[in-house]
Amino acid sequence: MIEIQDALRKKEIWAIGGGKGGIGKSLITGNVGICLARLKKKVLLVDADLGGANLHTTLGIGVPEMTLSDFLNRRVENIQDVIIKTGVPNLSLISGAQDFLDAANPNFAQKTRLLRHLEAIDVDYILLDLGAGTSFNILDFFLFSDHGILVVLPEPTAIENAYRFIKSAFYRRFRKVVTHQGIKDLIDAAMDQKNTMGIRTPFDLIERVKQMEQEVGEILELEVLKFKPKLIVNQVRTKNDIQIGFSMKSACRKYFGIDLEYLGYVEYDDSVWQSIRSKRPLAVEYPFSRPARCIERIVHNLLRKEQLTASMLF
Amino acid sequence: MVKKIDDMNFYELLEISPAAGTQDVHRAYDRVRRIYDPNSIALYSLFTPEETARIRLRIEDAYRTLVYEESRKEYNRMLKERNELPEPEPPASKRRPVPAASAPVQRPPGPDRAEYRAAPPQTPPLDDLMAPVAPAAEPAASATTEFNGPAIKALRERAGLTIRNIADMTKIGSRYLEYIEAEHFGKLPARPYLRGFLLLYAQALGCDSERMIADYLKRYEAAKPK
Ligand SMILES: Nc1ncnc2c1ncn2[C@@H]1O[C@H](COP(=O)(O)OP(=O)(O)OP(=O)(O)O)[C@@H](O)[C@H]1O
Ligand SMILES: [Mg+2]
Repeated sequence: MIEIQDALRKKEIWAIGGGKGGIGKSLITGNVGICLARLKKKVLLVDADLGGANLHTTLGIGVPEMTLSDFLNRRVENIQDVIIKTGVPNLSLISGAQDFLDAANPNFAQKTRLLRHLEAIDVDYILLDLGAGTSFNILDFFLFSDHGILVVLPEPTAIENAYRFIKSAFYRRFRKVVTHQGIKDLIDAAMDQKNTMGIRTPFDLIERVKQMEQEVGEILELEVLKFKPKLIVNQVRTKNDIQIGFSMKSACRKYFGIDLEYLGYVEYDDSVWQSIRSKRPLAVEYPFSRPARCIERIVHNLLRKEQLTASMLF
Repeated sequence: MVKKIDDMNFYELLEISPAAGTQDVHRAYDRVRRIYDPNSIALYSLFTPEETARIRLRIEDAYRTLVYEESRKEYNRMLKERNELPEPEPPASKRRPVPAASAPVQRPPGPDRAEYRAAPPQTPPLDDLMAPVAPAAEPAASATTEFNGPAIKALRERAGLTIRNIADMTKIGSRYLEYIEAEHFGKLPARPYLRGFLLLYAQALGCDSERMIADYLKRYEAAKPK
């Protein structure tokens, strides 16, 4: 899949994940899509949550007839056949698989076919709503994308899951760029936080790899610099909650050596569940609500390739 | 290149540029210290309590080294020898706060500002506040007025420093700093101690310590019951 990634592309693929369930991934994906579409971008949302698809719900769409599983299981050949309109101009959707039992774990060929077809679709942005967890499928979609976005809540469990997600994605990426089986094994072993080799952080791992093969270690170092996941803190209630994004950025630099870009935060607000209850998208039903405006701001940061800075806050 | 925490230099630890002014050092210290607070949930599952404690110690070291001109110069010299400090330091008079290299501040251009209205209010570029605290750059006001308690307080606030900051820098109890600013002469220690306090306080503010001590002690003497 890395090969496809290297192919020239004009559209951008963004993936929204986070490791934990119920943290607002679908809410954010759907409403980021709406904001982009309003800016006259052609957008395709893909519910890649192969286990518990519900992106259509945040868009106020009933269970669609055609879903991703029809494509994955070759009930239809052309991906165009599973793309549905959303009611928002410029915004279309591939709804998630409903018969999740066989679609939850697409094999390599199925994934490759999906990604190849996505590459060929004529839109400006493709947004992938990833499911919860850190399975290989989720990590691969995340790594394949141009921008991988992580959602967290200001609470320990969500933060822990986000770090586990980063670490898993990071090591999976390492694993893809090395060919040496011994080093692959080392990376797998290092994934276990309680490994007996004294490898705590990616730095320790790189040091160890360098001892085995200096050059490979240097390649991994380059990977560290290239890996720039993005962060959104959802359901913030206080200034301290907003601050958590900056703190995670600092902690990631010091622990992983990576640059976590803080895209922005979304405030906690009743308008979110009110919109879900009325089965209408937040950005359509309450476009001036605080969370809707927060999401708008995130979209602007994404488009400008900017991130939040502390001086913009206080 | 990629660096472990233990290999990070003090600037990297505090996440500031080597050209950062003294105010940036204070701010960065405040910021980073809060991030690596033992109770910070942003560290959850990443660092062990021992690791956090070690990082905190290094942050303290970094701060105490960079906040004083002498020790900072010495430290920079060492970094240069290790080739970790490529660009020469800009002259003090031209030094302007430089944001951390890892966080480029790009503001939206004018017309689009409206789209950011949802955002919390932005701080204006506090050039004034962040001006280096070098004696040369001292605001005119302090050259004409004397260093009494309120003037010292105003200087501190203009520098964007809290009593806590000063207490951390000088190791003077914050209560005494408050007494100094409030001119509670009766509660201040004996003259030689007070003199020492004032010296440290003046250094922390980066103002003319001799004048500050002389002015303040004059008021202290005058208020003393004969
Ligand atoms: N900013 C917010 N303010 C208030 N409630 C919110 C906010 N964000 C999310 N929620 C609540 O959290 C619920 C879960 O959101 P969402 O379905 O987007 O999460 P998810 O991460 O996609 O979940 P899953 O892992 O199950 O796919 C929403 O139904 C909503 O009620
Ligand atoms: Mg979801």
